[in-house]
Amino acid sequence: MAAQNDLSGIAAMIGVGHTDWPADHARVRAGDKPHDSYGYAAAAFNAALADAAISRQDIDGLIVGPTIANERMGELLGLDVRWGGQADAMTAVLEAVAAIRAGYCEVVALVYGNDQRSAAVKYGGPDAMGGNAFLSYVYHAPWGFTSQGALYAMMARRYLHERGMTEAELGEVAVAQRLAASRNPNALMREPITIEDYLASRFICEPLHLFDYCLINDGGVVLLVAEAEKARQISRKPVSIKGVGRFDLNKGATSLEPRLTDYYHSAQSKVADQVFEMAGLGPRDMDALQIYDSFSLHVPLALEGYGYCRPGEAGRFLTEHGISLDKGLPVNTSGGHLSETYMQGWNHQIEAVRQVRNEAGDRQVPQCRHVHYSSDVAGKAISIIYGAP
Amino acid sequence: MADAQPVLSLYDEPFWAAMAEGRLELQSCASCARFRYPPAPVCPDCLSMDYAWTPVSGRGEILSWVIFHRQYFDDFPPPYNAIAVRLEEGPILVSNLMGIMPVGNWIGEPVQLTCRQHEGRRQHAFEWAGAGAEGA
Repeated sequence: MAAQNDLSGIAAMIGVGHTDWPADHARVRAGDKPHDSYGYAAAAFNAALADAAISRQDIDGLIVGPTIANERMGELLGLDVRWGGQADAMTAVLEAVAAIRAGYCEVVALVYGNDQRSAAVKYGGPDAMGGNAFLSYVYHAPWGFTSQGALYAMMARRYLHERGMTEAELGEVAVAQRLAASRNPNALMREPITIEDYLASRFICEPLHLFDYCLINDGGVVLLVAEAEKARQISRKPVSIKGVGRFDLNKGATSLEPRLTDYYHSAQSKVADQVFEMAGLGPRDMDALQIYDSFSLHVPLALEGYGYCRPGEAGRFLTEHGISLDKGLPVNTSGGHLSETYMQGWNHQIEAVRQVRNEAGDRQVPQCRHVHYSSDVAGKAISIIYGAP
Repeated sequence: MADAQPVLSLYDEPFWAAMAEGRLELQSCASCARFRYPPAPVCPDCLSMDYAWTPVSGRGEILSWVIFHRQYFDDFPPPYNAIAVRLEEGPILVSNLMGIMPVGNWIGEPVQLTCRQHEGRRQHAFEWAGAGAEGA
């Protein structure tokens, strides 16, 4: 297999932008609809251009998120480009790096907007979203088994049992991330919670509680990725993409085989090898970790999968080593999907960039040089390492 | 809201046709004997496209379980359970546990296939077959 090491450092994040999540959420909850998905994306695009201090004419590539159409988005933003695509947050970053490496383009706009709350998108039930891409999301409906939360609840029940992890240990994820959100003015949920609050919160799909679930809100995110040399020319504060990796578990996906017997560990272990080798770094070099957290369970799975602790040790890692801004390895320092905003992995990229730039305000991780991002959505393990150039 | 409906691909139709007659049948690969679930056009192990619909023993054990406390379908008022069952033949089925429930941990408990009427269709379900299932 060809080495991927020449992807390290060839691209950098030069700008990030997003909508005002708390303000828009308040308006949506009051019955208003500030924007549709394209409008949120456009607002984020303007913010990203301002953040990067570049001209729109510098952009020659466009990747849009899953909820918007490439052509219409390009039309709205007045972008004719040399290269285009559509992808989720983490795949979009990987594709932008590959396209830059291939010479297809130099500066790529990664554009996401989602009106999922105001449009009442359903993640479970008769019209569950995502079933066209992941059959497991809809296949077991005749037995009442629906929602991505239920898939993770089924996984969590067996994982907690096999690993000997307690409910209170898992609850540390929600508590630590809410602490982070309490220091983040962009977060929707800023009221700190305790383990007692967590344990007393209602079950949605038992064993998962309300606080194990992500938020559902409207918003947009835009990320600007540039070829490294170009980034040095046009950006005052580039953040280097030092490593990327991906491994997909597809076998037995609909019958939940990799969820219930592997916990996606094998995929994350393979990606750990790729991404750390490419970056020339290891877990000990990471100053913060951003984990795609549609559900709290993703966090212990990633801690074990990427070698931050051994399988079976995540419960103790969560409580004794710690994953909060106050203790241990800071994880999801913005509050993540559980407490900041549910931008489906896009907000985690922003947070990684801000931490490396030392722009994270009250939640800044001291001397933050390297941030690791991980996602394991439906067994597709993807990882990115950001660092100072 | 609405009722829960099965996914009905071309390969699912014989599965539900057998279910309607109270039988759980899965595709058994004609080349390597691997069982397939959900029904599929090709064997993921040997890529053979040949198969026979084959009855299964109905014996299995619980891999995991959940309790729904939120309502997603009109025909599933909470609370209700869903279980992941490892069949003796290999595949994992998601189903419901009916009748007497084990106390405490359900993982590893033996279960036996049954069939139940749910709204307009017959579908598989399981009953606890472990020690204590009789007397409780």
